[in-house]
Amino acid sequence: MSNKRLNLLSVWAAVSAVLILAGIVLMAVLGFNTSLDRPEGKIFDVHYNVVVDLSEESRSSLETYCEDAFADAGIAYTDVVTLEGQSDPVSPDQGAFTATGNDFVLRYTFAADVSDEALAAAKTAVEASIAGDEAFLLPAETYVSYDTFTLQAMNESMWRGAVAVAVAAIVALIYVAVRFGIGSALTGLVACVNDAFLTLAVFAIARIPVYAFAPMLYAAVAAVLSAIFWLIRCMKLRDDAKEPSAGTFSAEESVANAVRATDKIVWAVAGILLALLAVCALCTVMTGAAAVFAGALVPVAAALYSSMLLAPALHVKVKARFDAMKRRHARYEGKKKSVKANQEN
Amino acid sequence: MSKKKSVILLVIYTLVIAALCFICTVSFSYGTDNLYTFSSVMRMMEKDADLGLAYGANAEAGAYLGGGYSAVYYPEGVISAKEYADNIEGMSEDEAAEYAADYVRYPDESGSVYLEKGIACDENGAMTDSFREAFSSALATVTARYAGLRVDGARVEAVGDYAIGVFLPAMMDGEYTAISLFAYTGELDVRSGSDEASATSIFTIRPNQTIRDYVQRVTSRTGGDTAYVEFVFTDAGREALATATAGAADTAVTLYFFVGDTSVLSLSVSEVYDQNTLYISGSYTAETANTVAVLFSTALDGTEEDLTLTPADAYFHTALYGGSALIMLYVAFGVFFVAMMAFFFIRYRRLGFVHLYTYLLFLFAMILCGWSIPFLYLSVETFLAFLLTSVLLCVSNAVTFESARREYALGKTMATCVKTGYKKCFWKLFDAHIVVAVIGFLVYAIALTSLQTAGFVLGLGAAFSGIATLAVNRFGWAVMMGTSKRQGAFCNFKREETEDE
Repeated sequence: MSNKRLNLLSVWAAVSAVLILAGIVLMAVLGFNTSLDRPEGKIFDVHYNVVVDLSEESRSSLETYCEDAFADAGIAYTDVVTLEGQSDPVSPDQGAFTATGNDFVLRYTFAADVSDEALAAAKTAVEASIAGDEAFLLPAETYVSYDTFTLQAMNESMWRGAVAVAVAAIVALIYVAVRFGIGSALTGLVACVNDAFLTLAVFAIARIPVYAFAPMLYAAVAAVLSAIFWLIRCMKLRDDAKEPSAGTFSAEESVANAVRATDKIVWAVAGILLALLAVCALCTVMTGAAAVFAGALVPVAAALYSSMLLAPALHVKVKARFDAMKRRHARYEGKKKSVKANQEN
Repeated sequence: MSKKKSVILLVIYTLVIAALCFICTVSFSYGTDNLYTFSSVMRMMEKDADLGLAYGANAEAGAYLGGGYSAVYYPEGVISAKEYADNIEGMSEDEAAEYAADYVRYPDESGSVYLEKGIACDENGAMTDSFREAFSSALATVTARYAGLRVDGARVEAVGDYAIGVFLPAMMDGEYTAISLFAYTGELDVRSGSDEASATSIFTIRPNQTIRDYVQRVTSRTGGDTAYVEFVFTDAGREALATATAGAADTAVTLYFFVGDTSVLSLSVSEVYDQNTLYISGSYTAETANTVAVLFSTALDGTEEDLTLTPADAYFHTALYGGSALIMLYVAFGVFFVAMMAFFFIRYRRLGFVHLYTYLLFLFAMILCGWSIPFLYLSVETFLAFLLTSVLLCVSNAVTFESARREYALGKTMATCVKTGYKKCFWKLFDAHIVVAVIGFLVYAIALTSLQTAGFVLGLGAAFSGIATLAVNRFGWAVMMGTSKRQGAFCNFKREETEDE
């Protein structure tokens, strides 16, 4: 199996290229599915100012009026919250808001494609229901409104994140070049770039819902894991290169041996991370944080893919080229000291 | 190491861990009627507003905070239908008719705002092109200001085509300051005079010039405990400032820094100021200095035609991820911790205690840093970075244990196999930690908001993990192993079986 996957570079490269290109196109055209951040939608607000006291019963009847009105209008909301009004401090120096204690908003959020006509009908129905309820005559002033909202993009954090991941990966791989050779660094760089882009591409293509900050976080996770997984391979390659028999192996055999020896630890680390993220996602399944953990499974899978398939197959070619260059530039091709010593003994 | 020495060191080591554990995780109330509270470091650590629950050093036990504040900026010529209804309610019939004649409900009869004729719409109630343009410009300015704050979770929304909704997470000392200051629109101007009303501009801006010909940029800086706003003037600006303060040595001159028609800050100058850079500290915190600097910086591109904005409708929002997210993060960590320790105790028996002590020291070091480093806070992103470094530490410790196990199997003494085991994997672990730390700290240096803090936690965690696995773990191993006579059994290591011929 090991040798077979090392000979399929064109297949792995094609898979990555197709996914990444499709992902880049979709990123450019549609961006990511940031529906968790509610980029656009409509809100239906029932403001109520409690003059004397509004019983819990009246508060819940407000919700009933709204839900009946939405059902009659044939629309369904995606979220409902009760917000507490805040009073402005006397001056900006005071800094913090304070609760007024009597201003509230019952806010329903709808998808952007819900019609204004339906919301207007619901508004009229809710106003009529409140007007017909004597419980609201004295204790509270109510007001019903609806609006459309569109989130404004703050792109600086996005591009700064992308630059940060790229610079960090390059600098880390310069270290790899110093410690393990330029060939290893080049393969590692390709793997890092591939994994970061592949992760972003999977999110763009599969339209997986993410928070706006998340894609760059996932790209960074992919780059870190990719670097670690490749480092594990590099360490074994370097250890093998110190063996007396190293010179007798072709690039393909060297890489195959190293990959075979380190597969277990790469699978183990990836397995631990996947299990850990799955546990975190399960533990937080009732909260919004679950989406962040579940999404983090993608960069781990992407790094595992490139570490198992793409990077070793690529490194066979890179190592062969670098080995050939080394041989061309070698002044004297003699036996290694250790081999000589063995023969003398 | 002698057994006696090992026991003494182990007791000290255990006491240190127990003390750190107490400080970091235990909170309780005491005194008459539980008047006083001892807060653990974990509780005092700042937390992302998305997570909710107790936040900040003064949060009461179980207090629900987190979340954030929203407000709506209404441009001049636009009022909410609620405000319109409130205004008209107390008027006489004639007044109400006169008032109603000036406004048109927008965008239709059920609309949520009213537009003032002649300002936002024409006599027929159609929104004017000039208002649309001014609104787009104001929206871009407000978005740039909130982005400039670089606060994780800040957001700006266009409400229809007539108002701007803003949200700030409850992670700042003064959300209102930012929301209030960012409503100021118009061009930056520096004026001098005896009072705000009579002060005149120190710049003579010609028709083909803007304020940018006099002021290059405005930023904020923090040095030690002092935060200040930094104005960088061009040569023309410096000249104007020197001229305005020429008589300051005799009579103090007051400079007023305006955005549009609003004076944001004033500065009393008692000597000639002839430099390109002007620092204003006052009573700023790093946060307020940044807010003011962002305001002035965006006002460099302001114009007299900018729409005036009025903030209104402020509401408190609960945490984005829900009220139980923080508890659930702790539960997830608990599951990870139990699984990790089960693995180490089953595979390495009492050597598992060495990993336990090492991991706890790493954990408490991370918690103490999370609390003491001002810009760090617990969020899902930082938790994710912490988990990555935790896995790095666990794998590194397992690698060293396995390395020693292989040496032990060959028949070496325990002391030799620990030494050789560490020697064989030292550079591997060093390389892995350096690479992760470099990536983490570089991401911290370049990225913004949540990715920035996650990068720092990753870098810090990698550094601590490296120290823990290469130094602390080895120390703990030497100390604990010294208490046992059967060291192979202590570590669950076995010799390789050889057949006798």
